[in-house]
Amino acid sequence: MSDTITRLNAALEGFASPEHRVGFAASIGFVLSLILVAGAEGQEAPREDGQWTMPAKDYAATRYSGLGEITPANAARLRPVWTFSTGVLGGHEGQPLVVNNTMYVVTPYPNVLYAFDLTEEGYPLHWKYRPDVNPFALGIACCDAVNRGPAYADGKVVYNLLDGHTVAVDAITGREVWKTKIAELSIGETVTMAPLIIGDRVIVGPSGGEFGIQGWVKALDLETGRILWTGYNAGPDSQVLANPDTFRPFYDEGTELGLTTWAGDTWKLAGVPVWGWISYDPDLDLLYYGTGNAAPYNPEQRLGDNKWAASVMARRPADGALVWAYQFTPHENWDYDANAEMILADLTIEGARRRVLVHFDKNGFAYTIDRATGEVLVAEPFVEVNWARGIDPATGVPQVDSTKLTGASKGNVENICPSLEGGTSPASPASYSPRTGLFYVSTNNFCMSWEASEAAYIVGTPYIGASIPYTPGADGHLGAFIAWDAVRGRKVWEIREKYPVWSGSVVTAGDVVFYGTLDGWFRAADARSGELLYRFKVGSGVVGAPISYTGPDGKQYVAVYAGIGGDWFLVAGDVRSDDPADVRPPADFMPDLARHTSQGGILWIFALD
Amino acid sequence: MVVVACGGSDSGASTSPSSDAGDRVFAGGVAPPTEILENPFDSDTDAVVVGEGLFAAMNCGECHGGGGVGFVGPSLVDGRWRYGGDDGELYQSIYAGRSRGMPAYGGILADAAIWSIVTYVRAQPIPESVPTESWR
Repeated sequence: MSDTITRLNAALEGFASPEHRVGFAASIGFVLSLILVAGAEGQEAPREDGQWTMPAKDYAATRYSGLGEITPANAARLRPVWTFSTGVLGGHEGQPLVVNNTMYVVTPYPNVLYAFDLTEEGYPLHWKYRPDVNPFALGIACCDAVNRGPAYADGKVVYNLLDGHTVAVDAITGREVWKTKIAELSIGETVTMAPLIIGDRVIVGPSGGEFGIQGWVKALDLETGRILWTGYNAGPDSQVLANPDTFRPFYDEGTELGLTTWAGDTWKLAGVPVWGWISYDPDLDLLYYGTGNAAPYNPEQRLGDNKWAASVMARRPADGALVWAYQFTPHENWDYDANAEMILADLTIEGARRRVLVHFDKNGFAYTIDRATGEVLVAEPFVEVNWARGIDPATGVPQVDSTKLTGASKGNVENICPSLEGGTSPASPASYSPRTGLFYVSTNNFCMSWEASEAAYIVGTPYIGASIPYTPGADGHLGAFIAWDAVRGRKVWEIREKYPVWSGSVVTAGDVVFYGTLDGWFRAADARSGELLYRFKVGSGVVGAPISYTGPDGKQYVAVYAGIGGDWFLVAGDVRSDDPADVRPPADFMPDLARHTSQGGILWIFALD
Repeated sequence: MVVVACGGSDSGASTSPSSDAGDRVFAGGVAPPTEILENPFDSDTDAVVVGEGLFAAMNCGECHGGGGVGFVGPSLVDGRWRYGGDDGELYQSIYAGRSRGMPAYGGILADAAIWSIVTYVRAQPIPESVPTESWR
């Protein structure tokens, strides 16, 4: 009977807010009635098969694992059980997959794909796949040669190459099934994002917001790799796939918004890349993704709202039709890409059950949005924000502090918070637990000055036009890992970190959340309280996203990459030691990071002892 | 993407960039005959000014960082060179590009412009403390 009560309580916790759980001592009958009601509302956690087949675990991009062996009570018994050097030094963003007792790992450039046999001692390789990737891509990738991981479906592992190709590899044999050129390196397009496979469609997009690309998403046929449709994020409706009959943005009216909100033909160099994550709601049949910055960084060269830069887009997977869009940061002035994940959840807001997406933007606001319509329900800052006072609930438009607007005529604009690294980086995806009702977010605590200048467009070179030094934020810490209540728009707890927090996270049915730090600590924390449960120094800063899965032995494992890089390859260039012909001073806002970490790609796996 | 004006070391600067890139290994110990590229500007100060302007206008600093301290591309002010640091070698890097990402500018820049950039880069002071980063 006590086991039954424990399970019922555990189940109930998935349906009750943290406040409502306080002092909870309900009768069994009360518990059962709540479960039945909640079950009727479809609040069940996703089914758990112990695998990890999509970049963010599921279509909803929750990064929630239904595994519960590791708990706050036993997490101190976690131990590293296996490591593997990927042989590559670039920033190891993203996450592995685990499918049919095989772990798939994609490295940064040169984008090697490893397939580890988890059934054999020492996890030897089934095979590795080494694509021929154009090294000139290293000079077109803005922010280190990262890759955010593969996706699996129908016996294929599908991922993107830095030089603008998508490949499908047979999951059993490692043989290449197809390879499709999706992006044009010569005009500044590279590819770093993780594809999402929706049915028989592979959804992909480019990086290149710093090279004046005209950003897009494409759908490829999973079977053949053939490009089925391309939807641009700026430009005429015919390119944006915004049919006036089916495009219904919640706040905007009119046609050709991707054209008329750009001065002249500046939309042709709009930027608006797609380098983050894609999610999908099968019931609404809508895919969601965020678009990146507007180009160049000198906004006076592209007057207007610049739609759909820094926006969330909702499209039909079948034909790419844009159904709604919402712009987080109109006339984007601060490199506030909106490429961070859109996490789909069902939340009760003001007494009503709402199908929402939750998005933590680089601009420092956390948004809870009706994912059927694009209506903003909640928008509150989750870090220090001073470029806007808030988001107007009637219009969805930020109330901008005009003294923080940038441009070549404005000189050096000081103390803009958050910095262009974002309140959180899209490189460090958040997680969501339907058990706690909380979102777990890696955050940054520093600000910037912005001195814009006239940018020259020279194809094949950066199109930027700004100098942007950073300054530490308040309270002497550069980052924090936080738990967020997206119904009330408030922080529930935080773990302060000395350095920016740049890893993703995974939260589990054991109510443990895992993340890593820039100075190389892998951590486990109690998902309800934020109490730290376990830590281990993993050899390099963590910019990847941990996953959890069931091994062939039935045990719960947690895997994560170590391997500092991404923007830190640029900003803290003294963390590298591989090139004797490239020696750099430390970043002045963070002078001692290289004391604690150095580049190195290592895959780590943890389990209870 | 990030553009940061990294604060460099303020330690004393030497004005004579040193490069070991000339210490090649030659099969059989014999250097191949090469065409000597001579910088027509030598260390002409006007060329330094022109080169500084071109360094910005051609987006060099967007990759190599403001002042060439290193960013996406390697530092140009550490006295170290992947592909050789004498005038002719720098000219070749700018003219023809390099396969780890350096675009080729020879199609859009005249000889004099490239040599001006070379002269500017070679005029940058090299901090004395390059090999050591110490926290004690």
